[in-house]
Amino acid sequence: MYIPLLPSFCLFLRHKMRKNISMEDFNKRAFQVITDGNLDYRQKKHHLAYIAESSQAYPEVSAEAKEALEKKIICDLFEGNAPYRPRYVLPDYALAMKNGIDYLELEAPKDFDEAINFLSILYVQVPSITGYSVYLGNIDQLLLDYVGDLSEEEIYKKMKLFWRFIDRTLPDAFVHINIGPEDNIIARVILRIERELKQVVPNLTLKYDPEISSDELLLEATKTVFEVAKPHIANHPMTAADFKGNYGVVSCYNSLPEGGGSHTLVRLNLKKICDLHQGDLQDFLSNTLKKYCIMTLDIIEARSKYLVETVNYYETDFLAKEGIISLENFSAMFGFYGLAECVNQLMKKSGSQSEYGKDEDANQLGHLILEEMKKIVDARELPYCEANEGKAFFHSQSGIDIDIEETAGARVPIGSEPDIYSHIQAVAPHHHLFTGGISDIFHFDDTIKRNPEAVLDIVKGAFKKGMRMFTFNLSDSEFIRITGYLVRRSDLKEFREEGSRYGSALFAANSMDNANVDCRVSKRVLSHEQVAGKY
Amino acid sequence: MSKLQANISGIIKSSVIDGPGNRMVIFFQACNLNCLYCHNSHTIGLCNLCGICVDACPTNSLQIDTENKRILHQENTCMRCDSCIKSCPENSSPFYKKMSVEEIVSEIHKVRDFISGITVSGGEVMLQVDFLRLLFQTIKSDKELSHLSILIDSNGNIAQDKWDSILPFTDGVMLDLKAFSQENHKKITGYSNETILESIQYLDKRKKLKELRFVLVKGMNNHEDELRKVSQFMSSVSASVGKSIIKMRKHGIRDEYAFVEEPNADDMEMARNIFEESGLNVLMI
Ligand code: SF4
Ligand code: SF4
Repeated sequence: MYIPLLPSFCLFLRHKMRKNISMEDFNKRAFQVITDGNLDYRQKKHHLAYIAESSQAYPEVSAEAKEALEKKIICDLFEGNAPYRPRYVLPDYALAMKNGIDYLELEAPKDFDEAINFLSILYVQVPSITGYSVYLGNIDQLLLDYVGDLSEEEIYKKMKLFWRFIDRTLPDAFVHINIGPEDNIIARVILRIERELKQVVPNLTLKYDPEISSDELLLEATKTVFEVAKPHIANHPMTAADFKGNYGVVSCYNSLPEGGGSHTLVRLNLKKICDLHQGDLQDFLSNTLKKYCIMTLDIIEARSKYLVETVNYYETDFLAKEGIISLENFSAMFGFYGLAECVNQLMKKSGSQSEYGKDEDANQLGHLILEEMKKIVDARELPYCEANEGKAFFHSQSGIDIDIEETAGARVPIGSEPDIYSHIQAVAPHHHLFTGGISDIFHFDDTIKRNPEAVLDIVKGAFKKGMRMFTFNLSDSEFIRITGYLVRRSDLKEFREEGSRYGSALFAANSMDNANVDCRVSKRVLSHEQVAGKY
Repeated sequence: MSKLQANISGIIKSSVIDGPGNRMVIFFQACNLNCLYCHNSHTIGLCNLCGICVDACPTNSLQIDTENKRILHQENTCMRCDSCIKSCPENSSPFYKKMSVEEIVSEIHKVRDFISGITVSGGEVMLQVDFLRLLFQTIKSDKELSHLSILIDSNGNIAQDKWDSILPFTDGVMLDLKAFSQENHKKITGYSNETILESIQYLDKRKKLKELRFVLVKGMNNHEDELRKVSQFMSSVSASVGKSIIKMRKHGIRDEYAFVEEPNADDMEMARNIFEESGLNVLMI
């Protein structure tokens, strides 16, 4: 069993990481990690590397940008001072399996066992910020060619072991795997295994295309969501149209090109810049918002350049050398969070009580801010962002545990979500802006378990209205989605008491303490009381 | 535009418990049974403008509009205390509205991309069958709505000719059976059940019966003898009809019927066993 990080210690680490540190500080902190009985060997190594990285100077940015980072107006999500690997790497697993990998002395797999073995070896080599790969491929498409004459039961047995390997070897809820859009035996077996094993890892997305995916597959997926709160469902035709080649949904719902990814993700705290803002709305849009968007883009540029020019990552890593990833398939990500608070504050300043998610004028203001940001992001030519024509991918960042006052991305604050239709009407109009991904969470009462077809209706309706991705939580599920990833309720409890095997349980425990994530409103009861009262 | 109007007690735009898929449910006012355990007893009667609720309202939110024969409700002062509903001697409510087919259809259009269909419920919807026929015809002939399924949730206390006039536009009917023996049925609903039993058989014959539910009430219809008769009757209905036993819940029932008892787990189990002995595969709700 892994031993978790103590929240207090971890926060200490994170807060200290921004500036490059003094030798004395360095020694003290390294010693603290080395002697901390709550960390296992692997976690110690990870933290020591982090401390070592923070001895380096931050990539060159303006003093003002540095200050914004200090004050968490802009946040690089603990990527570290000296980016020596990209944040999101999406290997072209299909290509690797076709050609084999010299560096790992792996030949192209010839059957199902070899294919699984090949991927298992490759997964642990893929770099990321957490040390665990954020993307494990469109797994059904990767394996279908190797099925041969295996029976369903044989596939099931092999996949179950594979799934156990993934969960135990890559214990991080940001590790993400995709299935679909075609209905096929591997996707079906995976959904069955998910319901049975009830593992947090891997996080799972079903690419859904109403023209290609069958209703039966979506129904299977829905029943799986009832058990384990995954898969997340992506609007495949809409997302695929944004990419030149294949795409993957990774980490906490970032959509990125396969064979590439994103150097970095830097996010802007819209609530904080709204706090700082003095003038009226027009002034906010044309000055404050613009200024900080540009600052965020500056930081993105500096970090990307460091990785490409100073570290020479794309010339030295075996993935790049063997064409499994290539620089031209990379871009960077511009994220933001706290739109709801920003809108509500601006409404208040202009003398209105309207709220984001509930009132049309507030929703309109939300769309306006997002469109303005998108324009600023698209106007900036960035180096090494060929995958998106030299622009950053615009991303509604789904939030992390330290976000106490801010709602994830462009979501409606937890607990103030309106009914399902108003919710969809409020958020669907801006989903098209987010080529880099966005996710919303809908909440259903447990009674829906008896009627999974109802979910199909809502999924289809939501996609028709232009939603890109969404997922849903049941009021009483053992699995809950925290911002962008999953945890088990029991793991949270266990973590608070004695710790959890999953690195992300720490994030979750903080998140649960910081936001109302476990007190959602349930909307519909089994009787029809109060019906007349609505009129 | 038709002048026909219906008394509508409420519309729920998303329901997952009134038939397959996500459905819009339209509740009609007025009923021709009076079940002891009715959870929505204010949908049983029609308003006669007596004004008792107007006087009972602590916030003066109600007013009689004599000219248009209706009660006006001021939403912004209403504190949803339900005193008006409780005071009504007619088991009615000052809140239900008259709506035209056009008004209901425009509500359906707002959610048409998200639903499998609509369910009309009550009260007893079939009391307003002429309106229903026009509503259903309008839906079925509207290109953007014709794919929606139409389900009726009825108590079955309806003559055959009324069913005949509406079945061509209906995808299915869901019915409750409250008891098999006359005596028990009268005790629970105030009325006998011959017409209901006939409706069940008739709808089954016409292949329009989708669901048949038996509501179990302790001390009223859970004696072994009664359960055997009910299960025997239910097993004479086609196997394709979904069958369930619903546990009566006291939530929301009128004060004067507070004495009715909810069945416990053992009562439910006993009912299930008897139903299964008759070869019925029932869903327990
Ligand atoms: S709702 Fe009831 S109490 Fe009120 S006026 Fe109508 S009949 Fe009388
Ligand atoms: S529910 Fe509203 S209208 Fe009815 S009595 Fe109470 S305050 Fe008056």
